Amino acid sequence: MPTSIYEVLELMRKYGRIEKIHKDTYIVEVKADKVKDICSILHWKLGGHFSVTVGSDERLINGYFAIYHVFLLDEQKISIIVHTKANPAIPKIPSITPIIPGANWHEREAHDFFGIVFENHPNLERLILPYDWPEKVYPLRKDVSIEELRFKILKPETVKEKVKPEEEYIVPIGPYHPALHEPEYFELYVEGERIVDAKYKGFHVHRGIEKVAEERLTINQIPFIAERICGICGYTHNVAYCQAVEYAANIDVPLRAKYIRSILLEIERIHSHLLWFGVLFHLLGFDTGFMMTWLVREKIMDLAEILTGNRKNYGMNLVGGVRRDINEGKIKLSLETLDYVEYKLRKILNKMLKLKEIMSRTKEIGLLSREEARKLSVVGPVARASGISTDVRKYHPYAAYGELEFKVPVYDAGDVYSRVLVRYDEIFESISMLKQLLKNIPKGDLMAENVEVPEYRKGLGLTEAPRGENVHLVITGRENKVYRWRPRAPSYNNVPSTLVMLKGENLADAPAIIASIDPCFSCTDHVVVVDVKRGTRRTLRLKEISRGRAR
Amino acid sequence: MKALRIEIFKEALKTGVVTKKYPFEPIEVPEGFRGKPSIDTEKCIGCGACANVCPPSALSIEVDAKRGVKKIMLFLGRCIFCGRCQDVCPTEAIKLSREFELSSLNSKDLYQVVELKMARCKTCGRYYATIRQILFTARNVPKDQRPLLLLCDECRSKVSAKYISYARW
Repeated sequence: MPTSIYEVLELMRKYGRIEKIHKDTYIVEVKADKVKDICSILHWKLGGHFSVTVGSDERLINGYFAIYHVFLLDEQKISIIVHTKANPAIPKIPSITPIIPGANWHEREAHDFFGIVFENHPNLERLILPYDWPEKVYPLRKDVSIEELRFKILKPETVKEKVKPEEEYIVPIGPYHPALHEPEYFELYVEGERIVDAKYKGFHVHRGIEKVAEERLTINQIPFIAERICGICGYTHNVAYCQAVEYAANIDVPLRAKYIRSILLEIERIHSHLLWFGVLFHLLGFDTGFMMTWLVREKIMDLAEILTGNRKNYGMNLVGGVRRDINEGKIKLSLETLDYVEYKLRKILNKMLKLKEIMSRTKEIGLLSREEARKLSVVGPVARASGISTDVRKYHPYAAYGELEFKVPVYDAGDVYSRVLVRYDEIFESISMLKQLLKNIPKGDLMAENVEVPEYRKGLGLTEAPRGENVHLVITGRENKVYRWRPRAPSYNNVPSTLVMLKGENLADAPAIIASIDPCFSCTDHVVVVDVKRGTRRTLRLKEISRGRAR
Repeated sequence: MKALRIEIFKEALKTGVVTKKYPFEPIEVPEGFRGKPSIDTEKCIGCGACANVCPPSALSIEVDAKRGVKKIMLFLGRCIFCGRCQDVCPTEAIKLSREFELSSLNSKDLYQVVELKMARCKTCGRYYATIRQILFTARNVPKDQRPLLLLCDECRSKVSAKYISYARW
């Protein structure tokens, strides 16, 4: 069992050429027939986890289609990208889904967008493209332009899907409904009150921002569209993108800028977790809890507004640094706010979690075992609640996290209550981190001096979003543009796990289970839509539907 | 268990009502809030730097070659209030205000158009840049080279190519 970086790299060398693309990130170029072996070793033997599969049309650079499987090795603190080339005429690559079920969606996405066929994939159906999308039109290929796509797309047709109801009822939850804040669609198959099977359909709001970014936007415009991928944790996408480009171009970001990034990321995490607590309490019918947590959250939102000029869309990053400084007065104010928030949360949230009603609705419900979690390669609080210690901040430090002291809360039970506790602990860890950051922020510049971006370099930007690890792979292009940009939001890996959690549970618990992963459906589709205020309305709908049926 | 509930209830009672009766009561936004941008028509030189960096293309530029007018158009419907325009403006003409109440019954209220007169090229007679832009650039150009500013890009490069070839001789 190789444990050191050196041993791992030696092992990788047996499979193909290895190249260091930037700090702690290696790319291994392997032949198609060896992909399965190397991926299986990385995921199952070396203790790494599968993170994302990125398809790319590199026919303009080297004449091939490329597939990148990204693995993060937490123990060795490195990331390894497995790179395979596919013949441009008949792009075929062996699928890794049989070994790592978590890769299912990733490979289907690459199939949708690039027409790459994954051999032996269990169901290589359409995932993202709608049913009425014309055959053999692959939108992210470089020979298709946005204008062309507009004319090629046919008029939408209604497609009726065949379902085979036997003795089960089907309870549809979601979408195509203006009142829902995000279009999600769950089909729950129930026998009486018990859920026997669940299906999820998503990607109703996929608008192809990758295509827009690659074709129309310049490198410094993309941070702003990246921020709008998520309506709650947008800044982490912004940072991940900027980091990817900075790594690719070998830009040294000043330390002060890194500290400011970390400060804002932690502020974002606190407000996101508090939002989630509010939503969960509301779903469980505990509206006092919802009001109280959101009252505290509002202080954090105000703080973000004071520091950046906006509650949610901080707009603070450019490639190479940050745009605004945080002065002494603001630091003092932030510390005061944090003291208040900590005092208030210790006082109320603590008590709320001890309530009998909350416990009985969350304990031993929505179980996700460690094995299932590993199989699906879930990330963030969901993984940490299932006994997997994974945190990009700790194991792949970025921004100023390398200089901080903090713990990674891990719980073994794998139920909704563990997910509650993980997030509860994380809020206080974040507050302690913020205090360290604000007290030790060094003086210096905000922007790197040289921000030239060379062409066709690869960069991997990792951040720990409130929902889990967030991965952006960037290949820089010519004329101040990116050639390929693939953002992967944490919910992309987490949503499939809800189907496992739901099986065997009571229908009335479905909303809390679905909410327990803190799903961000639009992020998964990488898009723009969420309205924080409407978040409650979505949950209300979920609740209404499940309650109506339960009666 | 009962004690817990009473404590939570007490805390809620102590907090009282925090919701503000907006819009019947004004809401304060902090210093540095990124609100509605507006262009100072006196200061704008029509260089187009803002339109270049604007991520959602809320700012755009149009040249009316017949009338010799350059239009800088700001459409708030597309604006994301990032403030990149403010960062790059050489004359501080475009600035973000703290105003955020933008709803209006008239869609025209969301547009701001600045029209600036353009100068003709001395040689070919084509409209090529706004007069203000030429005056602004002239400050940074040595006196002997200023006449070159009165030529359009193409003619200017022809003339300077000549200079260079003379220099070689």
